[in-house]
Amino acid sequence: MTAGNEEDLALSRRAAAGDGAAFAMLVEKHERALRAFLTRMAGAELADDIAQEAFVKAWRAAGQYDGRARYSTWLTRIAWRCRLDELRKATPRSAEAREAADSNRSAEVNDILARLDDKERAALVLCDGHGWTHAEAAELLGMPLGTLKSVIARAKAKCRRMWSGETSD
Amino acid sequence: MTEDRFDSFLASALAPEPRQPDRAFVARVQARIALDEQMAAERRRSLAHFAGQLLALGAVAAAIACLGRAAPVASFFAAAPGVLVLLLAFLFLVVLLSPRPRAASFTMLNVS
Repeated sequence: MTAGNEEDLALSRRAAAGDGAAFAMLVEKHERALRAFLTRMAGAELADDIAQEAFVKAWRAAGQYDGRARYSTWLTRIAWRCRLDELRKATPRSAEAREAADSNRSAEVNDILARLDDKERAALVLCDGHGWTHAEAAELLGMPLGTLKSVIARAKAKCRRMWSGETSD
Repeated sequence: MTEDRFDSFLASALAPEPRQPDRAFVARVQARIALDEQMAAERRRSLAHFAGQLLALGAVAAAIACLGRAAPVASFFAAAPGVLVLLLAFLFLVVLLSPRPRAASFTMLNVS
């Protein structure tokens, strides 16, 4: 079991037994990071819908969490699948929602991130912004560790190029 | 900007904003879970009701088949086959018009 995971495992076990208060504590603890990640990936409006969907699925599957990975990793894996489902049924509304959300965020960083592809953005946000290990991110994104490392290096190089291009204008 | 400074700038820009837990979001998740559980209970009730109806229909059909084999009844149905059709139509109507469990209302679906 990952160190520091005991509390989440205990809460998840209580949730699996139908304890809504225990699950609310898990939501309270993990919503900030999950919604921040999803906002980077899908925009603020969609992020909340996907996060809610992910938490509902996590509640239904609470009994399956075994504490081997961090709870946040397990939860983000569920949310990532929800996000892929969302992409499959993407409508023009999704694009509009994203543009609207983008206008409220730090423009430069978001402009740069928007020019990365989905997996580059996810890998960069998780490993550089959220402190995930490369192995955790590689598992989530379904790619070999070496590939993930080069995806991150490539994404960073792209960001650096775009940043220097933008700031030198 | 040097490579290291850019990396740390990027990391801080990508990190989640420090803030207190969003209680309103937690409440929305709880409401959605409650709705999800309610819908699941409705689905289970509907399924149980349907299975019960199917079982009852099977029992009545088996009883009719048994009765139909008895010599006097068999000869009656042979003389008037329309009665058998009417009887089956009546049974179908009974199943169709029997009360069902209440479905989830639209207002319930709008809770979010």
